[in-house]
Amino acid sequence: MTLSGRDSQATTEIDRSLVGSASEPFVVEVEKGAIRRFAEAIGDPDPRYRDRTAAQAAGFPDIIAPPTFPVTFRSPEEPVWTRYLDRRRILAGGQSFEYVRPIRCGERLVCRVHFVAVEEKSGRSGRMEFLHQEIRGATEGGEPVFVHRRTTVYRAARVEKRQ
Amino acid sequence: MPSYEVGETFELDRGPVTTVQLVMYAGASGDFNRIHYDLPFAQEAGLGGVIAHGMLTMGFAGQLLTNWAGPRAFVKAISARFVSSVRPGDTVRLRGTVTAIEPVAGASIVSVDFTGAVQDREVISGAAKMAFPA
Repeated sequence: MTLSGRDSQATTEIDRSLVGSASEPFVVEVEKGAIRRFAEAIGDPDPRYRDRTAAQAAGFPDIIAPPTFPVTFRSPEEPVWTRYLDRRRILAGGQSFEYVRPIRCGERLVCRVHFVAVEEKSGRSGRMEFLHQEIRGATEGGEPVFVHRRTTVYRAARVEKRQ
Repeated sequence: MPSYEVGETFELDRGPVTTVQLVMYAGASGDFNRIHYDLPFAQEAGLGGVIAHGMLTMGFAGQLLTNWAGPRAFVKAISARFVSSVRPGDTVRLRGTVTAIEPVAGASIVSVDFTGAVQDREVISGAAKMAFPA
Protein backbone atom coordinates (compact mmCIF):
# COMPACT_ATOMS: atom_id res chain seq x y z
CA MET A 1 0.00 0.00 0.00
CA THR A 2 1.08 3.59 -0.38
CA LEU A 3 1.88 5.60 2.72
CA SER A 4 -1.01 7.98 2.22
CA GLY A 5 -3.49 5.28 1.25
CA ARG A 6 -5.65 3.94 4.05
CA ASP A 7 -8.32 1.39 4.49
CA SER A 8 -11.45 3.53 4.90
CA GLN A 9 -12.80 0.99 7.40
CA ALA A 10 -9.87 1.44 9.76
CA THR A 11 -9.58 3.88 12.61
CA THR A 12 -6.65 6.29 12.64
CA GLU A 13 -6.41 6.03 16.43
CA ILE A 14 -3.83 3.83 18.18
CA ASP A 15 -5.23 0.40 19.01
CA ARG A 16 -4.02 -0.28 22.55
CA SER A 17 -5.11 -3.89 22.44
CA LEU A 18 -2.07 -4.50 20.20
CA VAL A 19 0.51 -3.53 22.86
CA GLY A 20 2.77 -6.53 23.43
CA SER A 21 2.52 -7.82 19.86
CA ALA A 22 5.46 -8.41 17.56
CA SER A 23 5.79 -8.52 13.79
CA GLU A 24 6.74 -11.67 11.94
CA PRO A 25 10.54 -11.97 11.68
CA PHE A 26 11.95 -10.52 8.46
CA VAL A 27 15.43 -10.79 6.98
CA VAL A 28 17.41 -7.71 5.97
CA GLU A 29 20.33 -8.15 3.61
CA VAL A 30 22.79 -5.39 4.42
CA GLU A 31 23.86 -4.08 1.05
CA LYS A 32 26.92 -1.99 0.22
CA GLY A 33 24.90 0.44 -1.97
CA ALA A 34 22.28 0.95 0.72
CA ILE A 35 24.96 1.84 3.29
CA ARG A 36 26.65 4.23 0.86
CA ARG A 37 23.38 5.96 -0.09
CA PHE A 38 22.47 6.34 3.56
CA ALA A 39 25.90 7.82 4.40
CA GLU A 40 25.51 10.23 1.46
CA ALA A 41 22.03 11.26 2.61
CA ILE A 42 23.27 12.17 6.09
CA GLY A 43 26.32 13.79 4.49
CA ASP A 44 28.90 11.66 6.31
CA PRO A 45 32.09 11.08 4.27
CA ASP A 46 33.48 8.38 6.65
CA PRO A 47 35.42 5.91 4.42
CA ARG A 48 34.47 2.98 6.68
CA TYR A 49 30.93 3.27 5.25
CA ARG A 50 32.16 2.91 1.63
CA ASP A 51 35.51 1.22 1.36
CA ARG A 52 36.32 -2.27 2.64
CA THR A 53 40.06 -1.54 2.78
CA ALA A 54 39.49 1.50 5.00
CA ALA A 55 37.12 -0.47 7.24
CA GLN A 56 39.61 -3.34 7.53
CA ALA A 57 42.46 -0.93 8.28
CA ALA A 58 40.34 0.28 11.21
CA GLY A 59 39.94 -3.28 12.49
CA PHE A 60 36.53 -4.25 11.08
CA PRO A 61 35.99 -7.32 8.88
CA ASP A 62 34.10 -5.40 6.18
CA ILE A 63 32.36 -2.07 5.42
CA ILE A 64 30.28 -1.03 8.45
CA ALA A 65 27.01 0.91 8.64
CA PRO A 66 26.43 4.27 10.39
CA PRO A 67 24.88 3.95 13.87
CA THR A 68 21.43 5.14 12.77
CA PHE A 69 21.29 2.81 9.73
CA PRO A 70 18.66 0.41 11.21
CA VAL A 71 16.01 3.09 10.50
CA THR A 72 16.15 1.70 6.96
CA PHE A 73 15.08 -1.78 8.12
CA ARG A 74 11.39 -2.03 7.37
CA SER A 75 9.20 -5.05 7.67
CA PRO A 76 7.74 -6.01 4.27
CA GLU A 77 4.32 -5.07 5.61
CA GLU A 78 4.03 -2.12 7.95
CA PRO A 79 2.98 -3.43 11.40
CA VAL A 80 -0.77 -3.20 11.91
CA TRP A 81 -0.39 -0.90 14.95
CA THR A 82 1.10 1.91 12.82
CA ARG A 83 -0.38 1.09 9.41
CA TYR A 84 -3.52 3.19 9.69
CA LEU A 85 -2.15 6.19 11.58
CA ASP A 86 -2.53 9.66 10.04
CA ARG A 87 0.93 10.70 8.77
CA ARG A 88 0.21 14.38 9.44
CA ARG A 89 -0.14 13.64 13.15
CA ILE A 90 3.13 11.68 13.45
CA LEU A 91 6.31 13.24 14.83
CA ALA A 92 9.56 11.58 15.87
CA GLY A 93 9.85 11.61 19.66
CA GLY A 94 13.17 9.94 20.32
CA GLN A 95 15.26 7.03 19.25
CA SER A 96 18.02 4.87 20.57
CA PHE A 97 20.35 2.23 19.16
CA GLU A 98 22.41 -0.30 21.08
CA TYR A 99 25.06 -2.47 19.47
CA VAL A 100 27.00 -5.59 20.32
CA ARG A 101 29.15 -4.62 17.31
CA PRO A 102 28.63 -2.47 14.20
CA ILE A 103 26.39 -3.80 11.42
CA ARG A 104 28.46 -5.13 8.50
CA CYS A 105 28.00 -5.07 4.77
CA GLY A 106 26.97 -8.43 3.34
CA GLU A 107 25.38 -9.87 6.45
CA ARG A 108 21.79 -11.05 6.81
CA LEU A 109 19.97 -9.87 9.91
CA VAL A 110 16.78 -11.38 11.23
CA CYS A 111 14.65 -8.53 12.60
CA ARG A 112 11.37 -8.24 14.47
CA VAL A 113 9.35 -5.17 15.45
CA HIS A 114 7.85 -5.21 18.95
CA PHE A 115 5.03 -2.88 20.06
CA VAL A 116 6.18 -2.17 23.62
CA ALA A 117 3.87 0.49 25.10
CA VAL A 118 1.68 3.56 24.62
CA GLU A 119 1.69 6.54 27.01
CA GLU A 120 -0.57 9.54 26.92
CA LYS A 121 0.73 13.02 27.78
CA SER A 122 -0.56 16.54 27.57
CA GLY A 123 1.73 19.07 25.93
CA ARG A 124 1.58 22.69 24.80
CA SER A 125 -0.22 21.66 21.64
CA GLY A 126 -2.75 19.41 23.36
CA ARG A 127 -3.02 15.71 24.01
CA MET A 128 -0.34 13.47 22.55
CA GLU A 129 0.29 9.76 22.62
CA PHE A 130 3.78 8.26 22.74
CA LEU A 131 4.09 4.96 20.95
CA HIS A 132 7.14 2.89 21.95
CA GLN A 133 8.51 0.26 19.57
CA GLU A 134 11.62 -1.91 19.56
CA ILE A 135 13.31 -3.51 16.58
CA ARG A 136 15.68 -6.31 17.51
CA GLY A 137 18.17 -7.68 15.00
CA ALA A 138 20.28 -10.83 15.19
CA THR A 139 22.37 -12.93 12.85
CA GLU A 140 20.77 -15.98 11.27
CA GLY A 141 22.72 -17.98 13.86
CA GLY A 142 20.85 -16.12 16.62
CA GLU A 143 23.71 -13.87 17.78
CA PRO A 144 22.17 -10.50 18.82
CA VAL A 145 23.58 -7.50 16.93
CA PHE A 146 21.42 -4.47 17.69
CA VAL A 147 18.32 -3.12 19.43
CA HIS A 148 16.64 -0.03 17.99
CA ARG A 149 14.09 1.66 20.24
CA ARG A 150 11.85 4.33 18.80
CA THR A 151 9.24 6.61 20.26
CA THR A 152 6.67 8.06 17.89
CA VAL A 153 4.62 11.07 18.96
CA TYR A 154 1.03 10.91 17.78
CA ARG A 155 -0.68 14.28 18.04
CA ALA A 156 -4.40 14.59 18.73
CA ALA A 157 -6.65 14.99 15.69
CA ARG A 158 -7.20 18.65 14.76
CA VAL A 159 -10.69 19.84 15.58
CA GLU A 160 -11.07 22.51 12.89
CA LYS A 161 -9.67 22.25 9.41
CA ARG A 162 -7.94 25.22 7.87
CA GLN A 163 -8.21 25.60 4.14
CA MET B 1 43.96 5.71 20.15
CA PRO B 2 43.05 9.36 20.68
CA SER B 3 43.51 10.72 24.16
CA TYR B 4 40.34 11.71 25.94
CA GLU B 5 39.38 12.84 29.40
CA VAL B 6 36.21 13.56 31.34
CA GLY B 7 34.99 17.08 30.61
CA GLU B 8 36.59 17.22 27.16
CA THR B 9 34.28 18.77 24.55
CA PHE B 10 34.13 18.56 20.76
CA GLU B 11 31.98 20.17 18.08
CA LEU B 12 30.71 19.69 14.55
CA ASP B 13 28.62 22.04 12.40
CA ARG B 14 26.32 20.46 9.82
CA GLY B 15 24.31 22.39 7.31
CA PRO B 16 22.67 24.31 5.94
CA VAL B 17 20.11 21.54 5.56
CA THR B 18 18.54 21.56 2.09
CA THR B 19 15.23 20.21 0.76
CA VAL B 20 17.27 18.04 -1.63
CA GLN B 21 18.93 16.47 1.40
CA LEU B 22 15.51 15.75 2.93
CA VAL B 23 14.44 14.02 -0.29
CA MET B 24 17.71 12.02 -0.32
CA TYR B 25 17.14 11.05 3.30
CA ALA B 26 13.56 10.01 2.57
CA GLY B 27 14.82 7.77 -0.24
CA ALA B 28 17.75 6.30 1.69
CA SER B 29 15.79 5.70 4.90
CA GLY B 30 12.44 4.74 3.40
CA ASP B 31 10.66 7.37 5.52
CA PHE B 32 8.41 9.01 2.95
CA ASN B 33 6.25 11.02 5.33
CA ARG B 34 5.35 14.03 3.17
CA ILE B 35 5.83 16.50 6.05
CA HIS B 36 9.53 16.30 5.09
CA TYR B 37 9.28 17.43 1.45
CA ASP B 38 5.71 18.37 0.48
CA LEU B 39 5.09 22.01 1.45
CA PRO B 40 1.23 22.12 1.17
CA PHE B 41 1.01 18.82 3.07
CA ALA B 42 3.34 20.12 5.82
CA GLN B 43 1.37 23.36 6.04
CA GLU B 44 -1.92 21.52 6.29
CA ALA B 45 -0.38 19.46 9.10
CA GLY B 46 0.10 22.73 10.99
CA LEU B 47 3.90 22.64 10.84
CA GLY B 48 4.36 25.95 9.02
CA GLY B 49 6.51 24.32 6.32
CA VAL B 50 8.56 21.19 5.77
CA ILE B 51 10.70 19.95 8.64
CA ALA B 52 13.78 17.71 8.58
CA HIS B 53 13.57 14.09 9.67
CA GLY B 54 14.59 13.94 13.33
CA MET B 55 16.68 10.95 12.32
CA LEU B 56 18.69 13.09 9.89
CA THR B 57 19.71 15.30 12.84
CA MET B 58 20.54 12.14 14.79
CA GLY B 59 22.68 11.06 11.83
CA PHE B 60 24.63 14.32 12.29
CA ALA B 61 25.08 13.40 15.97
CA GLY B 62 26.49 10.02 14.93
CA GLN B 63 29.00 11.84 12.76
CA LEU B 64 29.94 14.16 15.64
CA LEU B 65 30.86 11.07 17.67
CA THR B 66 32.69 9.02 15.04
CA ASN B 67 34.59 12.08 13.76
CA TRP B 68 35.87 12.73 17.24
CA ALA B 69 36.51 9.11 18.24
CA GLY B 70 38.47 8.12 15.13
CA PRO B 71 38.17 5.09 12.81
CA ARG B 72 38.96 2.30 15.31
CA ALA B 73 36.14 3.23 17.70
CA PHE B 74 32.49 2.43 17.17
CA VAL B 75 29.18 3.59 18.58
CA LYS B 76 28.07 1.08 21.21
CA ALA B 77 24.91 3.02 22.08
CA ILE B 78 23.30 6.28 21.07
CA SER B 79 20.00 7.77 22.17
CA ALA B 80 18.44 11.10 21.32
CA ARG B 81 15.37 13.17 21.92
CA PHE B 82 14.14 15.59 19.29
CA VAL B 83 13.52 18.86 21.10
CA SER B 84 12.44 21.13 18.25
CA SER B 85 12.30 21.03 14.47
CA VAL B 86 15.14 21.58 12.00
CA ARG B 87 14.11 23.23 8.73
CA PRO B 88 15.76 23.76 5.34
CA GLY B 89 18.33 26.55 5.67
CA ASP B 90 19.20 25.65 9.28
CA THR B 91 22.74 24.79 10.33
CA VAL B 92 23.00 22.52 13.34
CA ARG B 93 25.90 23.02 15.75
CA LEU B 94 26.55 19.77 17.61
CA ARG B 95 28.58 19.59 20.75
CA GLY B 96 29.70 16.54 22.73
CA THR B 97 31.07 16.30 26.27
CA VAL B 98 32.85 13.28 27.74
CA THR B 99 31.09 12.30 30.98
CA ALA B 100 32.74 9.00 31.95
CA ILE B 101 35.47 6.55 30.92
CA GLU B 102 35.41 2.92 31.97
CA PRO B 103 37.80 0.12 31.07
CA VAL B 104 35.98 -3.04 29.89
CA ALA B 105 37.95 -6.17 29.03
CA GLY B 106 40.99 -4.37 27.67
CA ALA B 107 38.86 -1.83 25.78
CA SER B 108 37.46 1.51 26.94
CA ILE B 109 33.86 2.61 26.95
CA VAL B 110 33.61 6.38 26.85
CA SER B 111 30.26 8.01 27.72
CA VAL B 112 29.32 11.23 25.99
CA ASP B 113 26.42 13.65 26.34
CA PHE B 114 25.58 15.68 23.26
CA THR B 115 23.31 18.49 22.16
CA GLY B 116 22.55 20.15 18.87
CA ALA B 117 21.30 23.69 18.37
CA VAL B 118 20.23 25.98 15.55
CA GLN B 119 21.57 29.32 16.72
CA ASP B 120 20.33 29.42 20.33
CA ARG B 121 17.47 26.97 19.91
CA GLU B 122 18.11 23.41 21.04
CA VAL B 123 16.96 20.82 18.47
CA ILE B 124 18.36 17.53 19.80
CA SER B 125 19.86 16.20 23.00
CA GLY B 126 21.18 12.78 23.78
CA ALA B 127 23.82 10.47 25.12
CA ALA B 128 26.13 7.85 23.67
CA LYS B 129 28.71 5.25 24.56
CA MET B 130 31.74 4.84 22.32
CA ALA B 131 33.77 1.62 22.35
CA PHE B 132 37.52 2.04 21.85
CA PRO B 133 39.42 -1.20 21.23
CA ALA B 134 42.55 -1.89 23.25
